[in-house]
Amino acid sequence: MSDYREKNKVVVQIGPQHPSLKEPGSFKITLDGEKVERAVIEIGYNHRGIEKACESRNYIQALYIIERVCGICSHAHTSCFCQAFEEIAGLEVPRRAHYIRGIVGELERLHSHLLWLGVASHEIGFDTLFMYTWRDRELVLDLLARIGGNRVNYGVNTYGGVRRDLEPELMQDILTVCDLLEEKLKYYADLALTETTLIARLRGIGTLLPEDVRKYSAVGPVARAAGIMDDVRITEPYGVFREIAVNGITDDHCDVYGRTLVRVKEMLEAIRLIRIMVKEIPDGPISVRPPRKLPVGESLSRVEAPRGEDIHYIRSNGGESPDRVRVRAPSEANWHGMSHMLEGFQLADVPIIIAAIDPCYSCTDRAIHLIGDGINQLTDWAQIRALSIEQYKARGIDPGSIKIREF
Amino acid sequence: MNTEETILALNKHFPALEAVSNRPLRVFTAFAEPKAFEETLRYANLTLGYHKGKHIIGTDEGENIGLSYIISNDEDVLLVLRERVPKSAPHVHSMGELYPSLMLHEREMVDLFGVQVSGLPEGPRYPLPDCWPDGEYPMRKEWNPAYFNKQTVTYEPPKQEDAK
Repeated sequence: MSDYREKNKVVVQIGPQHPSLKEPGSFKITLDGEKVERAVIEIGYNHRGIEKACESRNYIQALYIIERVCGICSHAHTSCFCQAFEEIAGLEVPRRAHYIRGIVGELERLHSHLLWLGVASHEIGFDTLFMYTWRDRELVLDLLARIGGNRVNYGVNTYGGVRRDLEPELMQDILTVCDLLEEKLKYYADLALTETTLIARLRGIGTLLPEDVRKYSAVGPVARAAGIMDDVRITEPYGVFREIAVNGITDDHCDVYGRTLVRVKEMLEAIRLIRIMVKEIPDGPISVRPPRKLPVGESLSRVEAPRGEDIHYIRSNGGESPDRVRVRAPSEANWHGMSHMLEGFQLADVPIIIAAIDPCYSCTDRAIHLIGDGINQLTDWAQIRALSIEQYKARGIDPGSIKIREF
Repeated sequence: MNTEETILALNKHFPALEAVSNRPLRVFTAFAEPKAFEETLRYANLTLGYHKGKHIIGTDEGENIGLSYIISNDEDVLLVLRERVPKSAPHVHSMGELYPSLMLHEREMVDLFGVQVSGLPEGPRYPLPDCWPDGEYPMRKEWNPAYFNKQTVTYEPPKQEDAK
């Protein structure tokens, strides 16, 4: 009998290009029936030589390259890189700059987690929630576009502070969006706690116990969903988090459901932090002048990106370019335990288990608001809706008569 | 075990490492030879409670390749232990048994710096593609991206006569 089962095992190759993957990755899954017996993961398809590129450019150029490590958590990467630079240079960043970095960082966490919630919903066939969350994410992206001129890669950070100040009107709009989002997020939190289909689909799969988290060095929401408080904002407060305490969110489900609950609750915490930062932001300068050259030295910096602990290393040999740059993105840390998370579960669960670590993929960057040239290319929600109604009308359908709640 | 206790313990048992800290939650050590390094890493894992393998940073040290292993404990102290191997014959032992999370980074050392890692289980290479030319290690300082042909995936530095 065992011989028969052994002979009938099937190897399924998922990726590197596959409809259930939003980025290229290769998963060789050995199946015993429908059960995943073994998973061999091959990544690296997106390797672009960013670290080598930084070595042959000056520090300012390197910062713009670092911002493009990730389309979603670009601000976290530049914050981490700037911190490393500032530590070697001995720069004292103004308090107002810390607050602006903090506000943008938490807005980034909001849009990253909303994006994830949408992707996860799509992977389990809950496309209504996918559309709701991505619609809500637009509110945050519009704010980020107003702050930095771009939906992703906002270019807010610079060495010694930030490049963009926040006007009172913009800060008021940030608070308005927080109010709107809070209402929706409470609904999603309630949904996650009560919707039986969602719970049944996510609970008990992709398990990573606390001892596994330690063994595989998982970070961020993956670790926190196993009850381990792994949050750099708490364990090593930096920037504004030295003044404003973060309420750490953990859960003890140790599975995909736990990771969902952690992220939904973290969005509510992000809103609380943004409100405090907007209320308490001090007046003053937003940057200090950085040196062109760094003294000889090295720094190991870290921040809490939406996906977890982001580590940047800079080594300076005293010149205008870094001698060595190394980025350990949080997704890189969470891949180590992926085989363990997949093994023993059903093939149908593979896409959502992979998605549950929120693997990083590049968002399509489109410049929608060009600051300074007077051309406004912003397409708002009402315009998008009007365009879609026109398209349907051209096909003989009139959706304009349907009453839709306005947000 | 906090930063100060870690430095005290390391400097007591391995004084040659000269463990220092330039800020809270960071401990840096000097480069060690592979044998001494492995002994220190085991001590840090089994005795000091540094059981989380965070990261390996490869560095080009001229005639040598440097490998900085970043490990961490429950207090979230980042301990940087370093070993140095000759660039002419870089060889280290895999530490994957102690730190499974470091195996991916060891594969990176193989691809980007040309370090031979014995004891590393079979598996896909990382992060370079299968068609990458043998013997080309892009993170070494002498490797110049200007000589890399992306179309043919070949590295073609000018010959000595051309350079003259």
